[in-house]
Amino acid sequence: MAPLKAGDKFPKGVAFIWAPITSDDATVCGIPQDFEADKEFTGKKVVIVSVPGAFTPGCQANHLPPYLKNFDALKSKGVDIVVVIASNDAWVMNAWGKVNGANGKDSFYFLSDTKTKFSENYGWAAGMGDRNGRWAMVVEKDGTVSYAENEPSPGQVTVSGAEAVLAKL
Amino acid sequence: MTALQPGDTFPSDVTFSYIPFDEAISNGTSCGRPVNYNTSKEFANKRVILVSVPGAFTPTCSARHLPGLLENLDRFKALGVQQITIIAYNDPYVMNAWRKNNEVQDDYVLFLTDPATAFAKQIGWTKGERTGRFAIVIDGNKVTYAAKEPGSEITVSSAEALLNFLEQI
Repeated sequence: MAPLKAGDKFPKGVAFIWAPITSDDATVCGIPQDFEADKEFTGKKVVIVSVPGAFTPGCQANHLPPYLKNFDALKSKGVDIVVVIASNDAWVMNAWGKVNGANGKDSFYFLSDTKTKFSENYGWAAGMGDRNGRWAMVVEKDGTVSYAENEPSPGQVTVSGAEAVLAKL
Repeated sequence: MTALQPGDTFPSDVTFSYIPFDEAISNGTSCGRPVNYNTSKEFANKRVILVSVPGAFTPTCSARHLPGLLENLDRFKALGVQQITIIAYNDPYVMNAWRKNNEVQDDYVLFLTDPATAFAKQIGWTKGERTGRFAIVIDGNKVTYAAKEPGSEITVSSAEALLNFLEQI
């Protein structure tokens, strides 16, 4: 399937898996449950950030922290929710969120893309096993994709970074 | 695919992968680089415990299995155990993050990736695509204890079961 591009409608039936973050302590585990885009994205401006793996060097050092740091700036540009997705399971994503201080950031979600494999089907895969590619997408309130950019080199963070997305908004 | 039994020789050249402990990158969010861990070399002439879990940061493992081991390190050392290895199917970045999260600050307890669940598959002790929950004691490459959990409870692979065994040999 071709990756989504600006102007496309966000597809129906996309789901992720997540374990809600309820504390700072990563040794306390959550209970994984479905996160249905049909329900959670409706009427919201959404930034989707896909990374090749939780706790990996590129993602951790350069990709994720600027999104957390610029969360308020993104919100001031009308973004309702930010979701970070990877092929890790929901427990690992939950732990990754916690060590990055995501507890208490209600509209910033760490989701496992193992349910409907959105990255593989509608975005970009990494070409390394079943890992997600590194890319970013913006979905408008009416469900129209307004930005969809894949990193030309997965080790780099350029078009999928918080700054590039902010500039676009 | 043959389950291990006491008296067996531990399979040769099993390769795990891990990120060695490094104080400079020991905080929870930064990353290191994975290296291979060859059991034929590393286990030679040592008494080693290998504990396998279905996943890092998962409820049973984090809440009950791992803490039992980590709380009894002095007893394991007193009983001649020179190395404890925890394996799971998660990648080395996740395993390293799990180590950090459990505040393990040296290489007495190693958190190793079983790449593609290859070792667990070789001995037939898997849980779906994941590593199963089991424990093995190896004395100089000879298996002296090997037990897989029959259900979802922690019994034969627990710290208590291992300590009881070690006290009797």
